[in-house]
Amino acid sequence: MREDDHNAEKLAFERLVRPHFDRLYRLAWRLAGHKAEAEDLFQELLIKAYAKLDELAKIDEPGSWLSRVMYNLFIDERRRFARRRMHTVEEGQLPGDGLAGLPGTEDPVLDNQRWEKIRALDAALSQLSDEHRIVVLLHDTEGYKLEEIHKLTGIPVGTVKSRLHRARVRLRDILTRSGTFS
Amino acid sequence: MQTDNTDKRDQEVLALLKDYPAPRATATFYDRALARATQEGTRRQRNRWLMTGFGSAVAAGVLLWLVGGFFLTSPVMPDVDPGIPGITMTLEEPRTVNLMFASATALDSAILTVTLPDGIELAGFPGQRVITWQTSLNEGNNLLPLELIAVSPVGGEVLARLEHNDRDRTFRLRIDVS
Repeated sequence: MREDDHNAEKLAFERLVRPHFDRLYRLAWRLAGHKAEAEDLFQELLIKAYAKLDELAKIDEPGSWLSRVMYNLFIDERRRFARRRMHTVEEGQLPGDGLAGLPGTEDPVLDNQRWEKIRALDAALSQLSDEHRIVVLLHDTEGYKLEEIHKLTGIPVGTVKSRLHRARVRLRDILTRSGTFS
Repeated sequence: MQTDNTDKRDQEVLALLKDYPAPRATATFYDRALARATQEGTRRQRNRWLMTGFGSAVAAGVLLWLVGGFFLTSPVMPDVDPGIPGITMTLEEPRTVNLMFASATALDSAILTVTLPDGIELAGFPGQRVITWQTSLNEGNNLLPLELIAVSPVGGEVLARLEHNDRDRTFRLRIDVS
């Protein structure tokens, strides 16, 4: 391919995908739960999307398409190796990973209390199955509607609702037992 | 009363979930990811490794051991632990690190995961920070050479984690880049 054509193609691709980067990055993080894996997932998505640039250029809602492809990549990867999610302690120990470096409030006491609760939530989420963890994060943390989760994952709305309910109950029980609630 | 407490805790769970943060990508990450995706001729290789004993093809480089049942590093501290084995790499110059896994018995369907810090890449896997293989180990010594490349001067820690059934072992290697 001539260099001019390749450059034009790269520019067209960037114009299509860059507006969705922040949302896709957050989705990758919510799916993978680990920064390095999330960035790998994001990278895999871009590689796959670039290979399908012709198709992507014709789609009305490229953001939704990209999200679905990312979700499917994540599921394929999980199925391929069927391995457990890494422990939160291991994730937190990787330099630059996990929750370190995220903005807090200006009150150091409140900061500590807040971060203790967030770490407890992080540990509790790691005890959920992927199917429950993803649904509760997409709905309750990211604000996806039930129908949006259905379109993203292919899971029927009724199943999304019941997984959401079970995930919330399980989180409540884990966090209560861990003494997180006052 | 119990229902009131349950409702209150449900509200607290929802509040926590709403507050659950996610990191933002670094300034250069998006640019790098785009560049890698649109690089002409990029090939992705996913290899399934079968490590077969102590071969004579040990490349010049660092030889490290991961011994079943024995952690080679102390518990991880927030800062890099000087007790963790380390090497110094030169920017953009490939360096082979040989991981040696000594296993008391043959192991089928073990999972090996190598996690790389930002700025360190594994040859053949550009832009990928977590590489996972399904593999088998023979009884005795099993060699895995990793050709690493430092693409930025930051350095960090490489993790090599071997999982089999419910057991796992992790080895850490510190990398400085000059």
